[in-house]
Amino acid sequence: MANAATFQCSIITPEAAVLECDATFVAFPAHDGEMGIMTGRAPLVCKLGIGQLRVETDSEKHLMFIDGGFVQISGSNLSILTEQAKDAAQIDAEAASTALVEARAMPNITDDDHTAKSKAVQRAQIQIKLAKSR
Amino acid sequence: MANRRLLVKRRKAVRNIRKITRTMQLIATARYQAAFSRAMATKPYTEKIAELVADLSSAATDVEHPLMKTNDAKRSAVLVLSSMRGLCGGYNGNVLRVATSHIDALAADGIESDVTVVGKKGIGYFSFLGRDIQQGITDIDEAPKFEQIEPIANAMIDRFIKGEVSSVCVVYMKFISAGKQKPHIMQLLPLSTEKDEAATDEAVGGAAGNSDYEFSPDPESLLQELLPATVRVRMFQCFTDATVSEHIARMVAMKAATDAAGDMITALTRKYNRARQTHITMELLDIVGGANALG
Repeated sequence: MANAATFQCSIITPEAAVLECDATFVAFPAHDGEMGIMTGRAPLVCKLGIGQLRVETDSEKHLMFIDGGFVQISGSNLSILTEQAKDAAQIDAEAASTALVEARAMPNITDDDHTAKSKAVQRAQIQIKLAKSR
Repeated sequence: MANRRLLVKRRKAVRNIRKITRTMQLIATARYQAAFSRAMATKPYTEKIAELVADLSSAATDVEHPLMKTNDAKRSAVLVLSSMRGLCGGYNGNVLRVATSHIDALAADGIESDVTVVGKKGIGYFSFLGRDIQQGITDIDEAPKFEQIEPIANAMIDRFIKGEVSSVCVVYMKFISAGKQKPHIMQLLPLSTEKDEAATDEAVGGAAGNSDYEFSPDPESLLQELLPATVRVRMFQCFTDATVSEHIARMVAMKAATDAAGDMITALTRKYNRARQTHITMELLDIVGGANALG
């Protein structure tokens, strides 16, 4: 490792390892709010929510959208397991807007409906925000 | 002579067929490599998930999860993975034979099966046999996406939790190595506590001394979330495995076809040459006979 203050960060989806790098700082959406990680963090296993993931390395910053999953920190390794990870640059703002309209039109009768609906709305809103911010 | 011209024509036709099969073999090889690297790319996720499950189960003992419980519903869900295209040798035949005998075995125990078939070939086979299928899926192509598989997996998980089905299994061609694939029935649900994958064993071994994690939320609820994810990713892996096996099967079948065409061309050429020789000899005999008669 070139710099003592970095740690190995890998973002893995079922389809592929999306990103592997030596990060200096990572902020991810935990299930109960955003969490920032620097090197030397105690071992942690945490559930992820829907939101934006920021990975900072010595030279660059990555911004991504992730949809749930888990994070595991052990030693100097941070692994983010998520079923969907999209680079902010790849997000299609129009598709996200349509998704938001569709999400708002979803039924909201039972508890399950409500959870599904609010998740879909959140997913679309965050993607729109990320698409605009780039 | 008609016979010779016929031989030439046939040889030409076989040559054309050989060209086609050779091209198909090359295409299958290229696709196999792509599919193989895709299948390999799913490994890190599966291994990590298995590692997490091992970590969590050591932290949270006696977890009761609906996905692990057996129920006594007299129905079972069977997912059969076949191919969308033919010309892949015994690939579909092998998978479908195993699938039907599995369904028959279940039926003998009084358990009815809800069969979901992926791929045109499988759907055709089941309708030819006059067997009922609950759902036929034809929109998953050779590069299965996780988002395509997820709804299928979620639907199965739902049905299992509701107690509509007592088990969920996937019948597919398991990829063991480039030289070996075999039809395999994988039980997806109820989740067995003994993991059959080697990756899990390694993870269990590696994680033994590393249980001082901080968990958020508590290990039990994490496990509740993690188990469905395990099911989904396992199903996804079946799909990627099946795709790799399909391309290998097609590669092998097309290689055999190309070789057979080559053999046939040699045989036809030999036959043609012999016919030509015979013809010349006959003509010579005619001429000599005629000359002798004149002389």
